[in-house]
Amino acid sequence: MAVDSDVNPASPSEAFIDYSALRALVVEDYPGMRNALRLSLTNFGITRVQLAANAAEAIYQMKQKSYDFILCDFNLGDGRDGQQLLEELRHSHLISLGTVFIMVTAESYYEKVVATAELAPDDYMIKPFSPEVLRSRLESILLRKRAFRDVYRHFHAQELEAAIAGCDKLIQGKPKYLVDALRFKGELLVTLGRFDEAEVLYQQVIAMRAIPWARLGLSRALHLQNKDEAAEDVLRDVMEQAPEMVAAYDLLSDVCLARKDASAAQVALEKGVAISARTVRRQQKLGEIAHTNGDLDTARTAFSNVLEKGRHSVFVTPGDYGNLCRVQLEQGDLQGAADTLKKNKSTLQASPEGQLVMAVTQGMVHVKSGNLKEAAKAVEEAIDLREHGTRGDANLMLDMAGACMASGRHDKADGIVAEVARNAHDSEALLARARKIYDEAGRTEAGASVLAVATADVRKLNNEGVVLAQRGDFRAAVDKLLTACAEAPRNPRIMMNAVWVILKYVDQSGMDETMIRAARRHLDEAERQAPGHARLAGLRRQLKDVETRFGIRRRGPA
Amino acid sequence: MKFDGTDLYAALIHELKNDLGLLSMTIDGIPRQGAAGHDGPVDAARMLCQNVVDRLQQALLIYKAIDQPIRPAIDAWSPHDAVHEIRDRAAALARGRIRVEAVLAPDVPEIWFFDRDLVEMALINAIHNSLAHARSALRIEASMTEGCLALTVRDDSAGYPEHILACADANAPCQSTGTGLGLQFSSAIAQSHDNRGRRGELRLHNDQGAVFCLLLP
Repeated sequence: MAVDSDVNPASPSEAFIDYSALRALVVEDYPGMRNALRLSLTNFGITRVQLAANAAEAIYQMKQKSYDFILCDFNLGDGRDGQQLLEELRHSHLISLGTVFIMVTAESYYEKVVATAELAPDDYMIKPFSPEVLRSRLESILLRKRAFRDVYRHFHAQELEAAIAGCDKLIQGKPKYLVDALRFKGELLVTLGRFDEAEVLYQQVIAMRAIPWARLGLSRALHLQNKDEAAEDVLRDVMEQAPEMVAAYDLLSDVCLARKDASAAQVALEKGVAISARTVRRQQKLGEIAHTNGDLDTARTAFSNVLEKGRHSVFVTPGDYGNLCRVQLEQGDLQGAADTLKKNKSTLQASPEGQLVMAVTQGMVHVKSGNLKEAAKAVEEAIDLREHGTRGDANLMLDMAGACMASGRHDKADGIVAEVARNAHDSEALLARARKIYDEAGRTEAGASVLAVATADVRKLNNEGVVLAQRGDFRAAVDKLLTACAEAPRNPRIMMNAVWVILKYVDQSGMDETMIRAARRHLDEAERQAPGHARLAGLRRQLKDVETRFGIRRRGPA
Repeated sequence: MKFDGTDLYAALIHELKNDLGLLSMTIDGIPRQGAAGHDGPVDAARMLCQNVVDRLQQALLIYKAIDQPIRPAIDAWSPHDAVHEIRDRAAALARGRIRVEAVLAPDVPEIWFFDRDLVEMALINAIHNSLAHARSALRIEASMTEGCLALTVRDDSAGYPEHILACADANAPCQSTGTGLGLQFSSAIAQSHDNRGRRGELRLHNDQGAVFCLLLP
């Protein structure tokens, strides 16, 4: 038996940590606590400590130089909270997985379970805590990061296969990090589209202990293999055992959507929002689904929350303002929509997309209040922005088409609808909304023909390309699909099909740099248009395989 | 904002807990002078302060446990790290007045599944008790017992009084203040840990002092 009675046992060299070499950032809104924390850190040898009072200051500091350790209070007063700060730092690549991020919370029962290890802090400290606890936790995280150094390096260089190999090494050789390595590997497998392997991995963790994140991972892996019934069973269990685990409700809503049950999807998200109303993306999704379900009150609350909770968030786009105004107008609340614009005027005017949202919404407000002269002015402004290359999301563009039609600009309206239709030839919801706009304008037949012409070309090129590919004539298939891409440059389905045939072609005929560049570009665009689409991960992996086979290394962040 | 009576108390405890945390950090910042007349009272103040902080933390958890059972957030943790962390906390509180040791049996695995925060809260409770009653030493141990991880706090005090041991054996609630409340709370934490039908336990006995043992399945 090993007995050590000292506070600071002599550390073996592999566990030695040089605290004086660490750069630390303390993010805490209360000045008294901020200074006390700095003093604690100084007491155990961390002398390079910077302080930040809120998320904006923290981001500013992180842009100036890099830190090894961030100690961040969850509650930062107005503005972003600690979790939003962490997500934003990861999103903008301001911190790597090698940086230690410890969240300080006042509650012992705070929503601890974040969907992915990547977005979770390295540890939580419950306030108030003693300096000894902080040091002990920091030390074990630093040692863990040291063990994961190679895995993280490969991950940041997008060498996911190598990162998995690194995890396997830890799984076999470091029992202390077995579960951490399994968790990270599970996420890598999902990113690479290897859902069946992820399923096995999560079962393996569950066999040790049915911890909530492993069951959530299992459910996700099942859902991504279209085994939605099994996925839902697992989720119901998770919710019973860990009802505060909000990520389970997000996944349940995806499962319900896959089963085409939009009202159950809405119920799931509403439960998630009841547990945590803060997450912008959950509110965005709830707003969209409620809107599709015709539940305008819920949609309005959700879209208002997006703007309110996400006031400082990078995840809020001009489209979110458009979403709220659309619901307000559909409710007949013209004043509400006008107020939304007025309140957010300076934010919206800061970008062309924001200006487009303003012009379109103003146009619609004037149309609805019968003020056709003002409406025409706003519509002209929107047309001008579009002609200079500004675009909004598909729903905003349909709003714009509606406002154009109401102002008599049928030619512009038809052009806009045709563009939306080309880029979403397979989206029933958008095409139905477009038809409704024509119906309301009394131009049902004109609409039918605009939509038919717009989608026919894309559909034809796409179908021909796919048939050619199935016959093995990849060269001709590539030509067809690249033509389709040029016609519908924002159509994720077409982009993904093009990438697929290019990879097939290169696989068959050898390397073609130009083609691979096109594949990369189209895959990036597909990702922008349909983030998180189930096919993306698999295509990424195939592209990566081809690149590796032909010795191309993409430069990734270090 | 509207408060009903109990929520108001919870919010108040919360605020006091945070103020005390700050006070405790302030005391930490007072430099030692090597004079017993100065360092002694400062150490005593620090310990009392930490004790109150830990008790308030407990009170908040008990307040929440009134409406719903304690729901542990189980994950994989290193028993080695947990024992060393508790040892460091105990040593910092003891300030050399009482010797603090940590012992890990060789068969303790690298990871075990438990709610680290809850388990540490229970152990710190026992540490405060031992620091108040031990003559010269306390020891934190991890070992394997009946297939469970056993986390033990052992001291050289006069041991638990008979009535507490009797309550613990009968699994009945003891007095609802002081030591009794803390032990009841620790027992609830142990029992909230469940693995395939095997529940966790708190075991108390006397063996050349008080022995507090959490069994985690």
